[in-house]
Amino acid sequence: MKFLIAVGSKEFSEPTLRVGLQVAKAFKAAVTIAYVGPKVSEFSSSQVRFTQERMEEWEFDRPGVEVLEWAFNFLAENNYITPTMVETGFPKNTLVQTSGSRSEVYLQGTVCENVNLILRNGDIIAELRDEVQRGGYDVTIIGGSQKRRMAHDLVQYIDSSIFIVNKYDKNKSYNLLLPVDDSMRSPKAVKFGARVAQAFDIKVNLITVSKTDTFGEGYTQASKRATKLMRRAGINHEHRFETGDPVTVIKKAAGNDHIIVMGASTKNPLFKFFTGSKPIKIMEDCQCPVLIVK
Amino acid sequence: MVGIIMVNLPTPVGLSVAGYRTLIIVVMAIILIIFEPVPLPAVAMMMLILQVLMGIDTSNGVAQSFMSDAVFFIMGSLMLAVAIVSQGLDSRLALGIIKLTGNKTWKIIIGFIAISAFLSSFIGEHTVTAMMMPVGLTLVKNSGVDKRDTSKLAALLLFSIAYGSAMGSIGTPSGGGRNVIMLGYMKEFGVGNISYLQWMKYAYPMLLLEIPLAAIILWFTFKPKQLILDSAVRKLKVHVTKSGTLKGNQILTIIIFVFVFLGWVFFSAKVGLGIIALIGVFLYLAFGLIRWEDLNRNTNWGVIILFGAAVSIGLHMKDTGAALWVAETTIDWMKMISEDVSILRWIVAVVLTGLLTNLLSNAATVAVIGPIVLNMGGDPLEMGFSTAIASAFAYLTVVASPTCMIIHSSGLVQQSDYLRAGWKMFIMSVSVLYIVSNFW
Amino acid sequence: MLGFSQRSLTNFLFWATQKKWFLITMLVGTILILLPTPSGLTIEGYRIIIIVITALMMIITEPIPLPGIAFYIIVMEVVLGIGSPEQISKSFMNDAVFFIMGSLMLAVTIVQQGWDKRIALGIIRLTGNKTKNIIFGFTAISAILSSFIGEHTVAALMLPIVMTLIKYTSEDRNKVQGLSAVLLFAVAYGALIGSIGTPSGGGRNVIIMSYLREYGISISYLGWMAMAYPLVLIMIPIVSRILMTSFTPEYVHLDTGVRKLVVQVAKAPNLSGRDTVAAFIFLLVFLGWVFLSETLGLGTIALSGVLLYLIAGFVNWEDISRNTHWGVIILFGATISLGANIKSSGAALWLANQVIDIFGSIMEMFPFATDAIIVILTTTLANVLSSSATVAVLGPITLNMGPDTLHLGMVTALASAFGFFTAVAAPACTIVYSSGFVRAKDFLKAGWKVGTVSIVLVIIYANTFWSLFF
Repeated sequence: MKFLIAVGSKEFSEPTLRVGLQVAKAFKAAVTIAYVGPKVSEFSSSQVRFTQERMEEWEFDRPGVEVLEWAFNFLAENNYITPTMVETGFPKNTLVQTSGSRSEVYLQGTVCENVNLILRNGDIIAELRDEVQRGGYDVTIIGGSQKRRMAHDLVQYIDSSIFIVNKYDKNKSYNLLLPVDDSMRSPKAVKFGARVAQAFDIKVNLITVSKTDTFGEGYTQASKRATKLMRRAGINHEHRFETGDPVTVIKKAAGNDHIIVMGASTKNPLFKFFTGSKPIKIMEDCQCPVLIVK
Repeated sequence: MVGIIMVNLPTPVGLSVAGYRTLIIVVMAIILIIFEPVPLPAVAMMMLILQVLMGIDTSNGVAQSFMSDAVFFIMGSLMLAVAIVSQGLDSRLALGIIKLTGNKTWKIIIGFIAISAFLSSFIGEHTVTAMMMPVGLTLVKNSGVDKRDTSKLAALLLFSIAYGSAMGSIGTPSGGGRNVIMLGYMKEFGVGNISYLQWMKYAYPMLLLEIPLAAIILWFTFKPKQLILDSAVRKLKVHVTKSGTLKGNQILTIIIFVFVFLGWVFFSAKVGLGIIALIGVFLYLAFGLIRWEDLNRNTNWGVIILFGAAVSIGLHMKDTGAALWVAETTIDWMKMISEDVSILRWIVAVVLTGLLTNLLSNAATVAVIGPIVLNMGGDPLEMGFSTAIASAFAYLTVVASPTCMIIHSSGLVQQSDYLRAGWKMFIMSVSVLYIVSNFW
Repeated sequence: MLGFSQRSLTNFLFWATQKKWFLITMLVGTILILLPTPSGLTIEGYRIIIIVITALMMIITEPIPLPGIAFYIIVMEVVLGIGSPEQISKSFMNDAVFFIMGSLMLAVTIVQQGWDKRIALGIIRLTGNKTKNIIFGFTAISAILSSFIGEHTVAALMLPIVMTLIKYTSEDRNKVQGLSAVLLFAVAYGALIGSIGTPSGGGRNVIIMSYLREYGISISYLGWMAMAYPLVLIMIPIVSRILMTSFTPEYVHLDTGVRKLVVQVAKAPNLSGRDTVAAFIFLLVFLGWVFLSETLGLGTIALSGVLLYLIAGFVNWEDISRNTHWGVIILFGATISLGANIKSSGAALWLANQVIDIFGSIMEMFPFATDAIIVILTTTLANVLSSSATVAVLGPITLNMGPDTLHLGMVTALASAFGFFTAVAAPACTIVYSSGFVRAKDFLKAGWKVGTVSIVLVIIYANTFWSLFF
């Protein structure tokens, strides 16, 4: 497994990094932490790059390196990287430019397989998309954003599963909310949810929502399978059946103390683009972390 | 130094001062390019600056002569090449070749030469060499344990790529920048407006004749021990399959290139080759198939400047009458040796170009020799084509052309190998050219 | 098969959202082409205007890389039948493009020589450790340097110095917010006002010169300096004053900062023979600009400088090739070609007449109204586009707006330097912004004051000083 954690700034990205690493640990995944800096107008990009080279001569880091350094310190404090790496400190000099606007550092991980730190510049969606395509990541973890459009773009265009760490508070206890239905991606979402629940050692609330009063064959089958899986894995779980508009029901069930794990929509992309989809709506409205499995 | 001495010498009879000064710049530039004490772009800049300093033209005049559709074309096609290479189409290409040729060594060699020649006639020799070299090296690496065992095979494969693409570059105007320079000269000299298709009609038969001959020459020069490359081919296939199926981006890349090619064939007379190439680059950028940073870094800007400078000096050679003077003087000298002017003209054009192209870059050769040759009399069309084609005969030295440099950079071929295979290729090509130009 | 098509559909949608401005621009262009040509304008003229509009839209929104826009301009000029490929490629290149190429390359060379440490020492020696003096010093030095070697070079040279000074004053960023803003803006704005001083201060000046030459007006390097340099000298104290009031620096004295800076700089090796030669070459280039630019052209001289540095081995070609932004050079070539065609197709005259028609009554009422319109128009565009692109496109139009072409041209050139309002307006601003110490809104905060003052100043200056002396 390969995880990509996108951090934005020192101030706001701590929860993202913390949760992201915890999940990654559960999956024993290789982790890449990426910081995407602002786009530089092209008229001056070469001059800016050039100035930054000069700045290095004067012992200044390029903007963004301090964020990576902060991430490094976080990794070191929480023992995600080997002690020898911690001793030598942040290996600033090994930040290599791999292509136009992308630089990276390799670190030796302990719990997770490997840890990379990446610095990029440009439009965040485009850069993350490119990174995911290049690295073949399975999950992208990113903090919640104020912009509704961004959540939409993330789900629509990033090829991996997406974990939006929205309003996460490390002092609060969370439960896992797992909507189950007959869609193609649902079984995978259930498996994912089980792993995450094990990682955080929390209870799973399975929920099946039907728009009509009756529950079709597919729904009952899917929920049975999900319950079985949870039982086998020895996870504390509970299953509810509700009727109504899925989005509102899930939103209500989630409140602000759940981590939602659900499968991505399988609708036609063009259709999704104009009308949106359930996961996107839930992600935009809910006040809690959401993992969308693709 | 030579330049300063020459400036102080009196101007030769029959030549204007400006013309003489242009010639001085040419001579200085040739010396500098051969010995390379300063980087090539610096030579190009020097040519531009000296033209202004010596009062041959105003700075605006020089700037304008620097730019022409040909320079746009060179810029555009270099960028197209970068875009194509960056899409990783080479492994796909490899599979295609192997499928066609099977695993017999001699068949693979013919395949390599033919494909290199064919491709390079459309997208330029160095792109093709850059794309093909990894394929060739993979085959060599997987065909034997001992490096000594495979040295002949390596030379054979690499030379078939290099010479194949060098030969191919004459096929169409887009095969090399020098072809476009020649087209520009022909237009300037009033020889006529040659279209893309007409060029192909003149040059392609020559190319087709050369392919089997080159294969035979190379085969007998470097006869490899391995007559069947079974395991190597298998490993290559495995390697290629790993890289997955044709991606959407790659398909789009090919489609756009085909469009550009069709544009060259059908619209070049109206819109200009350069503009069409730029349309291609624009499409690649607009579709996000290549990032500008990659283009900025991988395009060889020095070459573009050198081209521009060479074209600029070529035009001034014509305008100042320097080209005519040199042409007449050479012909006068030659008359002392023989009476048959037409043969002589031809020999001078071809042999001189062939030799110079092995020392200078081929574009610079055409830029310098072009105006002279077109002034020599005889059928300028035939003379022009002979020069353009002969400029591809850069077989003899490592520095002769980018293709030779690229395969040398692999470290598997020696300087002496170039001479060993090159002289045969050179003679073969000159004679084929003679036959073609006389009977076609 | 379904999966494949879904995937490519996603790819397409992604492309469409990323490039929505490109698609919108194309749509606008198509609609405009289908509309009938306005009366009084040739069909070529109308098409040129369409190209200008679409190109401007794309430059502002940047949906595709800038060089892509340059290619778009060139291609459309040919496709819409404004000129043959040969004509267009000729109009693409002139001495101004060589100058821009040469000066970008010179910038690479100069910045690599490591003169920044020496400059730092020089400034500190002059100003002492009073914050007020230091700010004035930075503004003045940036302005004077940039008037000769161009704003982008100066900003690249000065930024490390300023940052070091800030770092040594206090490690805590929040404690020196005002100070860092004031110092960084001193560099950026200083470089901007300086760039009007001489023709070599910026590519746009050279562009205007080449336009003026087409009208038969030749202005020498010294002539330009005589017209523009007094304004630079007037503006230096005013700008540093405004900056000091807009951001309050936390310290009145920068004692520790200055001391540590001096210590670090003193570590640099002494002036070696190599440095002397490098400085000497630049001096030669400068002298060449001053005395030979009429006969040889500024561009040729700039290229000669690069050639000398290459031959002397102070810089190698790989560095130049990698660090020069070729895309910008191509874009300037394309805009210059556009400018030339705006003029020759008659679109420039038509547009100028339109502007005069609209503002005609005001122009007659107030004597300086024409200048005011040009200055405000140019400044606005310069803040959303780049300054050189503004001049290349607007120049042909403004030159047609009145009888005194030289006056109009100079006003346009001066006003195009006032990219104070946004972080993208000028390379100097972007460089300062890239340090991460100033926010985008700081540009507005200081920019509107400096901008307004500059605009007023230029109008007064142009109508008093020039009319008195020229």
